[in-house]
Amino acid sequence: MDKLTREQVMHVAYLARINLEEDDIEKYRVQLKKLIDDIDKIKDIKNYDEEFLISPIEHNTNLREDVVGQMLDYKEVIKNAPNSNGNFVEVPVMINE
Amino acid sequence: MNEYKTTVGIEVHAELKTKSKIFSNSANNYGKMANTCTNVIDLGYPGVLPTVNEKAIELALRAALVLNCKINKKMHFDRKNYFYPDNPKNYQITQNRTPIGINGYVEINVKDGKKKIRIHDIHIEEDTCKSIHNKNKSMLDFNRAGIPLVEIVTEADINSSEEAMKYLEKLRELLLYADVSDCKIEEGSMRCDCNVSVSKTEKLGTKIEIKNIGSITNVGVAIDYETKRQIELLENKKNLKEETRRFDDKTNSTILMRIKETGNDYRYFPEPDIPFIELSDQYIKDVYNNLPMLAEERRKIYLKSGINEVNVQKIIQNRIISDYLNRFIDKKINLVIASNLLLGDIAAYLNKYEIKIENTKLTDDKFIDIVNYLDSQKINSKVFKTILDDIMEEDLSIDEILEKNGFKEINNEELVDIIKDVLKNNEQSVNDYHAGNTRAIKYIMGQIMKETKGNANPKNINLILEDLLNK
Amino acid sequence: MSKYLDLSLKEINKLLKDKKIKPIDLVEEAFENIEKNKDINSFITLDKENAFKVAKELENKEVDNLLFGIPIAIKDNICTKNLRTTCASKMLENFIPNYDATVVEKIKSKNMIIIGKTNMDEFAMGSTSRTSYFGAPKNPWNKKRIAGGSSGGSASCISSRIVPFALGSDTGGSIRQPASYCGIVGMKPTYGRISRYGLVAFGSSLDQIGPMTRNVYENAELLNILCGKDEKDLTSIDKEKEDFTSLINTDIKGMNIAIPKYFVTDIVEKEVLDKFNEIVEILKEKGCNIEYIDIDYIENAVTLYQIIAMGEASSNLARFDGIRYGYSYENPQNLEELYTKTRQFGFGDEVKRRIMVGSFILSGENAKIYYDKALKIRDDIRKSFLKAFKKFDLIIGPTTTTVAYDLESNLDDPLKTFLDDILVIPVNMAGLPGLNVPIGFSKDKMPIGLHIIGNAFDEKTIYKLASSIEKTLDLNLDPRGEKNE
Repeated sequence: MDKLTREQVMHVAYLARINLEEDDIEKYRVQLKKLIDDIDKIKDIKNYDEEFLISPIEHNTNLREDVVGQMLDYKEVIKNAPNSNGNFVEVPVMINE
Repeated sequence: MNEYKTTVGIEVHAELKTKSKIFSNSANNYGKMANTCTNVIDLGYPGVLPTVNEKAIELALRAALVLNCKINKKMHFDRKNYFYPDNPKNYQITQNRTPIGINGYVEINVKDGKKKIRIHDIHIEEDTCKSIHNKNKSMLDFNRAGIPLVEIVTEADINSSEEAMKYLEKLRELLLYADVSDCKIEEGSMRCDCNVSVSKTEKLGTKIEIKNIGSITNVGVAIDYETKRQIELLENKKNLKEETRRFDDKTNSTILMRIKETGNDYRYFPEPDIPFIELSDQYIKDVYNNLPMLAEERRKIYLKSGINEVNVQKIIQNRIISDYLNRFIDKKINLVIASNLLLGDIAAYLNKYEIKIENTKLTDDKFIDIVNYLDSQKINSKVFKTILDDIMEEDLSIDEILEKNGFKEINNEELVDIIKDVLKNNEQSVNDYHAGNTRAIKYIMGQIMKETKGNANPKNINLILEDLLNK
Repeated sequence: MSKYLDLSLKEINKLLKDKKIKPIDLVEEAFENIEKNKDINSFITLDKENAFKVAKELENKEVDNLLFGIPIAIKDNICTKNLRTTCASKMLENFIPNYDATVVEKIKSKNMIIIGKTNMDEFAMGSTSRTSYFGAPKNPWNKKRIAGGSSGGSASCISSRIVPFALGSDTGGSIRQPASYCGIVGMKPTYGRISRYGLVAFGSSLDQIGPMTRNVYENAELLNILCGKDEKDLTSIDKEKEDFTSLINTDIKGMNIAIPKYFVTDIVEKEVLDKFNEIVEILKEKGCNIEYIDIDYIENAVTLYQIIAMGEASSNLARFDGIRYGYSYENPQNLEELYTKTRQFGFGDEVKRRIMVGSFILSGENAKIYYDKALKIRDDIRKSFLKAFKKFDLIIGPTTTTVAYDLESNLDDPLKTFLDDILVIPVNMAGLPGLNVPIGFSKDKMPIGLHIIGNAFDEKTIYKLASSIEKTLDLNLDPRGEKNE
């Protein structure tokens, strides 16, 4: 790619939900540019087959019988959660609701 | 001046009636204590992998079939990537490229005939978790996370609030009768989002999304409100922006939630943890052939058996009654009487005691006897009402219940004697009758009924009475 | 002090069976070895207390299988119930899983004894294990050099003879490359051979767990107990049970072996190439038929790998958000800050770079340009390999282009880490099995490895050739200089 702009870096950082310190933006811009230039090589590949491979598995999916198995105690659920309240896992208020 | 045309597209999420979740084997339950129906898969723990519930696939296929969709016989799942606390893995497993069904339709009745609402696609996905909010914090309950859903997306074929409501009622009926979902809007097992736009030209106007409307009626209210609001803005030369609004049922209006970002970037890609799923022709055929009887067919049978349209609609609206009634279709009983009982006295009884029909002592044999006795006028409705509680509560046959309550059938000889006595004691009325006073016969009938305590078949009384009077 | 762990698996098994030693003797020895080799930094977490407890319990049990009572180390991206699993990341520094990976269940059911969790690149992203939050493990052959990665801790702990068995994981060479650098045997089995349930996902369509051992036979024995269809992993495959050791030390005469021309071009350093060519000559002498072939798009495999692995990783690692488990940024102002700062401070640089590039790859129209196209070409590579296997029993090449390099070099180049794996990555693209077997040393006494690629689900034939080479060369692979018989 010709150029990777600061805005593009900020955009992918937003998509990935990674905060970048002001000083880091340029560092990442240079590194990401290098990586993206490398993967851009794919643009030069031609005459490939349209069939695609999701994973190297040829068999069909075995479906699971609809039977309820063991579940976690709610204490297990909240034990690993950094913030909890009673039975619930807690987060800062979700504004978009 | 041209008229504004309203265009609506509807997205419905319906939870599938399975025992376990779509990608894990924890329970698909409603109303349980928070975070008691989960496992590490629902919580998106590091290292876990999804499995696929066969029942969820079957129910989604049923839905696709009753919506007249073309089936994607080789399908896969996709990941929809977005960060939100209700989305445990921060990607939702859904179907983007190969939805199980595409290009279907639902037919609704409109003023000038029938209208097809085209279905763009129906796809399978997992539900998000539930959240409760207070001022600074939101609290997450993962019980709902991973419950199987189908999302049903229409083309922008709906042009009024009335059509929207009809579509939703029809859709709900289809999903209910195909046993796909219990479609309880109030419990969130069916959720509707509408995209509403208005325009004076063929080109569609700016699309406004209204989310999570709590009832079918309110979908109508919301669309009407939104149409009016948008026209007013356009008439005042205001520009509309693509936005998401929510319906407020206190004010019957829509309220802005957020302006849409320019194109959500969901970064869809095929879910590598789930290889292709192939639905064989035989499987599709089997699922189709095993569909429960749908509402449309039931309607035809009921109307043909003489049940009036109002009652047919009432029965269809109550799946339990309809299923119950269907048990007797082949039993050659009078379905009109059967349906009247089910919609009337029996429904009232069940309501009064808040009990389910299967938890009463009403057996199929008892029901058949009751309907036949009423049909042949062996008993009348008054008698039925008197013995209803016993029918529902006692392990006795109808004959035993009648006997227990002193309703012993009077044989014809006894009946002739009783009628003779009545005629003897009411000579004046007999004379009046012969003089042409038709009202006199009614009085005599009343006296006979009184003497027989309602235990005689009115048909027989009539025959004997006529015979005796005309001797 | 006795050195039971230096004996062969069969010898240890006999001693246990004859009650000459107890499992606890082996556990004791393993922890002494760890103490002596602390500087190698192979482990992130030790499970000393529990290991002794398990060993004690085993004293009352019958020695019912070859792996009974044998200590094993587990790469730290494989979940172990009640034992910290960090993925070498600050993000999971205090994460204690409440479930066992399927492979861990299998290991426990054979009564092997888990000693601890091995060091690695953070979330397996890297080729040197230097991206570990806990510091890089060192190469036992030269402690100033890298052990390779991402399974560097597992490779170094086998190489330094701390324990005889370890599990690694391989997304783009992460078992075979460190095995080559450390002079051990490492197998990446066919995709689907071993359940991935409980392996913290990096590139889901590429990841595979595999055995890392001192020698070929023991590798096959460990694979014997790891493989099998798992109801919890839809990408695991149902195959008839077979004994992977069955062709070991059988005659290789008449085998048809292919060498992709790309594997012997100037991308490989001369010293490595020379050693490889020596092996080719030996194979010819032994009656193997060797041919040079082309594999379609093999030179593009790294590009495809970057696209697929980073794309999938950006999605797989989205779950680390500070909400349900793991590191969480304290007292965030709002939800957005919880996400962005948890991930800013919880992930290291390499991981953040790859997640951002992965997000770029899948973003909007890019998904078609990069990801979808990569899946298509990937299928072509796989087909080309499968076509080659119609004619050939095996495909070989050098495992790496160089020997292990200095811990301080190549630190600033974000691309170098991919190029280290240029010869092993094509195998992950095709989902095929691949194994590293040591074939000698460079002049500065660093191990060089041979990469043997088999047809899908034909690990047995790989072991056949590997065992023959191992036996012929009879190398001393103990960095302590002692001969390991």
